Amino acid sequence: MDKTRRNLLKGGAIAAGAATFAAGYSEPLTRMAKGLTGSSGEKPKHPVYGNALDPEYRVDLETGDVTPNPDQRVAFTVCYGCTTKCGVRVRIDNRSETVLRSVGNPFNPLSADEHADETLPVKDALLRTTAFQDQGWAARSTTCARGNAMIAQITSPHRITQCLKRAGKRGEGKWETISFEQLIEEIVEGGDLFGEGHVDGLAAINDYDTPLDPENPEYGPKTNQLLVMEATDYGRSAVLRRFSDKAFGTRNYGHHGSYCGLAFRMGAGAMMNDLAKNAHLKPDFEKATFGLFIGTAPSQAGNPFKRQGRLLSKARVDETLEYIVVDPALNASVARAAGPRANWVPIRPGSDTALGMALMRLLFETEGYAAEYLAIPNAAAAKAAGEPSHSNAVHLVITSDDHPRAGAFLRESDLGLKPADAEDDAPMVMDATGAIVPANTVERAELFTDAKVTLADGNSVDVRSSLRLLRDEALSHPLEEMAGECGVSVEQLQHMAGKLKEHGRTAAVDCHGGMMSGAGFYSAYALQLLNVLVGNVNHTGGSAHGGGKFNGAGKGPRYNLAGFKGARKPKGVFLSRSRFPYEKTSEFKRLKAEGKSPYPARAPWRRLAPPVLTDHITAAIDGYPYPIKAMIGVMCNPIYGQAGLKTLIADKLRDPKVLPLYVAVDGFINETNTYADYIVPDSVMYEVWGFTGAWSGNLTKMTTACWPIVEPRQAKTADGQPVSMESFFIKLAKRLGLDGFGDNAITDAEGGTHPLNRAEDFYLRAAANIAFMGKPLPDASEDDIRFSGLERLLPEIEATLPAEERGPVAHLYSRGGRYQTFDKARDGEALGNPWKRTLCVWNEKVGTCIDSMTGKRLFGTARFLRPAMADGSAMRDHFGEADWPMLAFSYKSNVMNSYSVGLERLRMIKPYNPILVNHDDAERLGIAHGAEILVESPGGRLRGLAIVTKGVMPGAIGIEHSFGHTELGARDHVIDGETVPGNPWIAAGVNINDLGFADPTRKTLGTWLEPVSGASVRQGLPVRISAV
Amino acid sequence: MDLARRMFMGQLARFTAGASLVPLATVAEAAINEQPPRRGGDPAKRYAMLIDLRRCIGCQACTVSCHLENDAPLGKFRTIVSQYEVDDPETGDMSTFFLPRLCNHCDNPPCVPVCPVQATYQQEDGIVVVDAERCVGCAYCVQACPYDARFINDKTQTADKCTFCTHRLEAGLLPACVESCVGGARIIGDLNDPESTISKMVAEHHGELKVLQPEKGTSPHVFYLGMDERFIDRPEAFASIWDIHGKDNEELHYEFSGH
Repeated sequence: MDKTRRNLLKGGAIAAGAATFAAGYSEPLTRMAKGLTGSSGEKPKHPVYGNALDPEYRVDLETGDVTPNPDQRVAFTVCYGCTTKCGVRVRIDNRSETVLRSVGNPFNPLSADEHADETLPVKDALLRTTAFQDQGWAARSTTCARGNAMIAQITSPHRITQCLKRAGKRGEGKWETISFEQLIEEIVEGGDLFGEGHVDGLAAINDYDTPLDPENPEYGPKTNQLLVMEATDYGRSAVLRRFSDKAFGTRNYGHHGSYCGLAFRMGAGAMMNDLAKNAHLKPDFEKATFGLFIGTAPSQAGNPFKRQGRLLSKARVDETLEYIVVDPALNASVARAAGPRANWVPIRPGSDTALGMALMRLLFETEGYAAEYLAIPNAAAAKAAGEPSHSNAVHLVITSDDHPRAGAFLRESDLGLKPADAEDDAPMVMDATGAIVPANTVERAELFTDAKVTLADGNSVDVRSSLRLLRDEALSHPLEEMAGECGVSVEQLQHMAGKLKEHGRTAAVDCHGGMMSGAGFYSAYALQLLNVLVGNVNHTGGSAHGGGKFNGAGKGPRYNLAGFKGARKPKGVFLSRSRFPYEKTSEFKRLKAEGKSPYPARAPWRRLAPPVLTDHITAAIDGYPYPIKAMIGVMCNPIYGQAGLKTLIADKLRDPKVLPLYVAVDGFINETNTYADYIVPDSVMYEVWGFTGAWSGNLTKMTTACWPIVEPRQAKTADGQPVSMESFFIKLAKRLGLDGFGDNAITDAEGGTHPLNRAEDFYLRAAANIAFMGKPLPDASEDDIRFSGLERLLPEIEATLPAEERGPVAHLYSRGGRYQTFDKARDGEALGNPWKRTLCVWNEKVGTCIDSMTGKRLFGTARFLRPAMADGSAMRDHFGEADWPMLAFSYKSNVMNSYSVGLERLRMIKPYNPILVNHDDAERLGIAHGAEILVESPGGRLRGLAIVTKGVMPGAIGIEHSFGHTELGARDHVIDGETVPGNPWIAAGVNINDLGFADPTRKTLGTWLEPVSGASVRQGLPVRISAV
Repeated sequence: MDLARRMFMGQLARFTAGASLVPLATVAEAAINEQPPRRGGDPAKRYAMLIDLRRCIGCQACTVSCHLENDAPLGKFRTIVSQYEVDDPETGDMSTFFLPRLCNHCDNPPCVPVCPVQATYQQEDGIVVVDAERCVGCAYCVQACPYDARFINDKTQTADKCTFCTHRLEAGLLPACVESCVGGARIIGDLNDPESTISKMVAEHHGELKVLQPEKGTSPHVFYLGMDERFIDRPEAFASIWDIHGKDNEELHYEFSGH
């Protein structure tokens, strides 16, 4: 011990000094005592740096030389911290094979702006992120808090690393470990697997030729008795769907979209004329001058998270963007430091159609819409006028209710100008002379047509232009009425509409998860139509569809990964009764034949909606349209995510007779797969293969590549592969004798065949497809390989791919993907990757769709609508304000996500989610700041602490999503008799979905779902609150 | 409630008092009282950080990146972003205020002279560091820091704090918080180099830059840009809820306070 230290120890022992300390600071006193007895802490690695990580490289600031640290490597892959799926660069310790930290990939636009051109050597791209020439700040590429905290998943004590079979009752939390091979054998062959009686294995339902229900042949084959679900495409869905759709041939696939943002996506899809994939728009943050964010909050959350946050913060500094956030709660988007350029306007949950219609009314009244643009009736005229998009605003809709084509566009064939089945049967418009002419024959047409037209058959029908129909709706409700509905003042509405008019083409309206209300579809449609009215779609500074991705899993330049010999085609009716007209069912025909009214249907048949997980599982349990025999869930947790589902079906999931076989593939036990019969341990972040794209917030085309940059830590198969989603489906398909997997399963462009026995057999060939799209990528240099940690991947590439593909594939992985160059984001005033379809002021598919519950046509454009139940009745008719005076809503956390609560580095920052209660409500109800409150809904109750604030809409309570877990490490599980203890902090807080409830207007099992889309309603749940 | 948490809330209380921020331009160069001579580091440099609050989105990327980079104990922070809900004194409009916090690497660091073993010292490049081999964990410095930027590291039992990632600066790299800052709010550099980004920004925004608690005479070298005058005059901030309730609504206390 040196002299100074001894002196102190003496000093520390002086009673007076210690007493002074003890007054308010007992902890250091303890430390002093420890020091005196010599029991001090662990000596850090370095006296000043402490236990800081060794730098990954050293940069000579004079020359720019980069010397890598031989004990570390840096590799590019995908982050699973949220569904943005950013490209990241990850530091790994070579000695311990542990992941140290993550930063962004400088080539990846989701992490960097502007992203490095992929022709730049990897070393140079990395050098730009350092202190060399002071360029690191501008060229920085980042990983967020969640992404970095997610590293702990790899070594989490709650991670599942062995194949598990339940050793108790369903959901009891008792498991035994079994081999992968035993697991495959049991789920294929079935038998008395749990001593509870016979269970059909997958072999028994692998029957693609026999109808599952002879009475209702349209339901499809017996293979539909398998439901395969996953959270979302984390870059691996291509293998999953190769199994589910094409090899096994089940119709029943589902993902989390219907309890995430489907109501928004469908509203956007209706506007964009894409109800198949439900494309959507995001603002061009870089060039927009006014943003209206409704139920979405860039930089608080949303997608792409970092990119939006980065561009928003830049716009604040450059003072290029003024924005208003309309949301029941104040959030991070409304930054104080942005001053008056950022404003928050509170709104009543679920009332967004009123907001949208009021804003449209004001735009119509003040001529704030882009009249010249809206008058353009076709793509060629738009091009001639220099407009980057066009709409059907002037197309004429048949409005006579008694006409068989009511709700459809008046077309040439209606006037005898074309045969009825003509492919180019153009919609009609009214030209400036008042003549009704085909839309493709004029440059401009009348905006607000209301006319009577004589048809070829001599009958006459009423027609109105799409824009006229929209204007009629907007003008049918006084401004004050709409203001009263949504709780936004007339002055605020006028202010917003004025801004939209003022900024026009560079004003962008953005919405997302806030649309998950009982009127969500029409809310999103209304708000998205504002973008059409101001004419901003595909416009620089307006709304962007985004650049899209390089899809390597299709029929590519090197390999056909889309199809294979003997591929099945899913057929029949989805469990969720989506995309199938009720009128074509045997049931409908039977009812008609019996002279009974077929309406309302026994349960909603949502013709426009994609297959929705929100009704797949309830339908399967209920047996309508049909029961199923097996379910495979991959990283999927609807019980946590769907409002009211747990209350409705948890007990039924416990009963193996209702759903006989449930196999989960996951790294963790969640609220849903806790009911599984088997769990297949999956690779987690950084251990997986795959290719991910970007959502609409990125303007350039891109695909991020991911590969196992660290060795997966779970069990291996008998032939040495890591047990994972891929090895599971490959083995399962081979054991079932299905086509598309195993030897000779993949065909190359020359007709040669290749095996699909390992994950890399698929993904490396997908990489070759991407690398050879358009102009093939060049070879990676030795330096590129060294600086991207690719040495470990090269043997796999060499073992799998022919020589000519290896260099370009290595180039792809050395940049962590493939990316269009930054300059392709724009093309003059237009965006570089435009959305090409005709935008729908009136959507014909919507306007001609019969609602199976009411028997009436849906309305084909936006309109004011209160939140409704399945039968179309208003929610408030069932749950009145007298009993349920308040409305609960959820909002995304800026730190947690729905599956991240197990991460201690996030819990240490945000350990809990107190409930937002408005100041006035709290005063009225006697609720103090920080006090415990009881929240009751028609379906559940929860207790939490109140944050009393002015930052929430009066009459509404806000619940931050991602807390209130019962699994993911929250409770004990017993594996092979050993208890893996739960952590009570993981269970902290509340989950809004525990307030969900059954739809009382349904005859079958179902939670409250938005009528058109089937999306789970979590915005605007009727509740009452009280002090405890 | 965890100590670190209480301290951060303590900072908030001082904020509410309204005297904590004044423009940098008005701060007289504080006399260096009994500061021991600086040692180590590059004498040609004076590192400082400028935090552009307009760019901060409150995402905590800095917090977690720093935590991993520097192996901080769970629940203890070398840097964190405090989040406040504020209303405008004139309009009543609500907004969110983010305040990234870290060691201010003061020119007159009150933590240095109080160290009885001279474990805490200032490098010639201005970075205030702790020599863990000397430190006995007495926590005098923890108490002396008006910014609550220090804590006792449970593992090493020594004082711990932000070092501006001096180990990375010396390797020609950026500190973890800077390279991971999504909005680009953190700008680090050498004030002695007039061509550095930070020097240029300090020159450009000199009159608008603020420091925390200038009245303490510490001459902080973390400068904030975008601190609204109205916020200084009458900040309206409510204490957040740091109680944690579990599955059955039982009080759990802060998970990481037991270190």
